[in-house]
Amino acid sequence: MDRFLAFLERLMSIDRRWLYLAVAIAVAVPVLRPIGLPVKVSNETRDFFAQLEALHEGDVILFSFDYEADTNAELDPMSRVIWDYCFSRGIRIVALTLYPGGVGIAENIMNEAAEKYGKEYGVDYVFLGFNADWSGTMLRMGESFRLTYPAEQYGKATTEIPLLDDADKYADVPLLVSIASSSYAEYWAIWAGGKFGQKIVTGNTAVQAVLVYPYYQAGQILGFLGGLKGAAELETLTDLPGDATRGMDSQSTGHGLMVLFILLGNLAYLAQKIRQRRAV
Amino acid sequence: MKRTAPIVFGFVVGMIMFLQYFIPHAPFTTAYSLVLDWKQVVFGMTLILGIVSLVRHHGTKVQRREKDWAYSVVVLLGFAVMAIAPIVQRTTEGGIYGWMFDHVQAPMQATMFALLAFYVASASYRAFRARSVQAALLLLAGITVMLGRVPIGEMMAIHVAGHEFSLATLSSWILDVPNMAAKRGILIGVGLGVTATALKILLGIERTYLGRSA
Repeated sequence: MDRFLAFLERLMSIDRRWLYLAVAIAVAVPVLRPIGLPVKVSNETRDFFAQLEALHEGDVILFSFDYEADTNAELDPMSRVIWDYCFSRGIRIVALTLYPGGVGIAENIMNEAAEKYGKEYGVDYVFLGFNADWSGTMLRMGESFRLTYPAEQYGKATTEIPLLDDADKYADVPLLVSIASSSYAEYWAIWAGGKFGQKIVTGNTAVQAVLVYPYYQAGQILGFLGGLKGAAELETLTDLPGDATRGMDSQSTGHGLMVLFILLGNLAYLAQKIRQRRAV
Repeated sequence: MKRTAPIVFGFVVGMIMFLQYFIPHAPFTTAYSLVLDWKQVVFGMTLILGIVSLVRHHGTKVQRREKDWAYSVVVLLGFAVMAIAPIVQRTTEGGIYGWMFDHVQAPMQATMFALLAFYVASASYRAFRARSVQAALLLLAGITVMLGRVPIGEMMAIHVAGHEFSLATLSSWILDVPNMAAKRGILIGVGLGVTATALKILLGIERTYLGRSA
C-alpha cells in the first residue's frame, strides 16, 4: 500500500512535457483515425436551427464575422455550415465584420460558399467589410446599412449594390447571425435587439457561450451554438457534415484526457496527504 | 473654465443621448445622428493614435538597440506590409495581404490559441485540487460539464448508469441553473455599476476622464 501511495505521490512531479505529449496524441490520433462518435443535439442549437429553417427563399439575413484567426478552428465550421445552408436554400446574405482581422476570415468563407453554390456578388451576397466603431455600427445599421457603409469592402458605393435595395436596415432582415469570439454577441443583443427589436442568433466559442445563457433564457438571443460541439450539432441538423463533426472525436478524447489528468492529480495529492499524516 | 466647460459639455451631450432614447423625434434624432458621426470619427482617430504609439514604441526600441529589438523589427515590417500591400494592390483578396493573412497571421494566431490546450492540461493536472468542499464542488461541476459536452462522456455515462441517466442533461442543468444564476447576479451588479458611473459622469462627480489635473 505504501509503495502504491509513493508511486502516486511521484506522479505529482512528472515532467510536464509528458503531459504535452499525451495531449498531442489524444488530439491527433482521432484526426488520423476517426471514431465517428454520435452527436446529441442541444436545445440551444435546435432553437438556432429553427430560426434558420423559418427563413424563406429570397430572404436576406445579416451575418457578422465577429472573430479573428485565433478562434477559426472553433468558429469557421459554424460560419461555413450557415453559409452553405443559406445558399442551398436561396437565402441572401449581407456580411460584415467588427474585427480588422475578420476580413480575411470572411473572404475565405464567402468565396468558398459562393463558388460551391454559384452565387453572384452584390446580388446574392455582399461584404460590407470592417467598420472601426462597433457600437456606432450596431446603432447606425438600425437606420441604414448604406449610410453606415457608404462603400463596401472593395470600395464600390453601396448605392450600386442591388442586394441592398431589398435590405437597408434591421427592419428589412428577418435574422441577424453573429459568430463571435468575444462579447460582441451580447452587444448585438443589447444594441440591435434592445433598441431595434432585431431577431438574433449567435455562435460562440465554448468559453464565451457560458455568458450567453442569460440572454438566451430571456429571449434576447433566440438560439446559440456553443463551441465546436454547437457547430457539430448544426451540421447534424442541416445534414451538412463538415470539420466540426470530424473534430468532435478529437474534442472527446481531449476532454477525456483532461478529466483523467484532474483525477490523477487529485489522487496524487491525496496520497501525498496520507503519507504526510503517517509520517507525523 | 478649463474644468467647468468639459463637464457642462459632457452633461449636455450625455443628456441628449439619454433623452433621444425616449423621444425619437427631431431635434433629438438629428442630434443622435450627429453624435454617432462624431463617434465614428473619434474611434478612427483612436486607431491612428494606436498606430502612432506602436510605431514610436518599437521604432525607439530599434533605434536604441534595446533588448530583443529584433522582434520590434519584425513587428514594424509585418505592420508595414499588411498596411501598405492592400493599398497598393487595391484589394484584400489574394495578393500579398491575402497570402500573409492565410500563411502567416492565421496560422500564428491559431497556434497561440491552440497552445492553451497544453497549458490547461498541465494546469488541470497540477493545480485543480479538491482542497475544500467548495473546491470539490467546483471540480465535480467542471468534470460533469467537460464530459457532458462531448459524445464520449455521454457514452461513458450510459455504460455506467444506463440509458435513464443523461450526462448531457446534467451538464445543461449546471449551465442553465447555477451558472446562469451566478452570471445574472454579476450582470445585474455590472448594470447597476454602469448606471451609477454614468450618473456620476453626467453630474460631474466622476472626473477621472478629464485627466489628473481635474
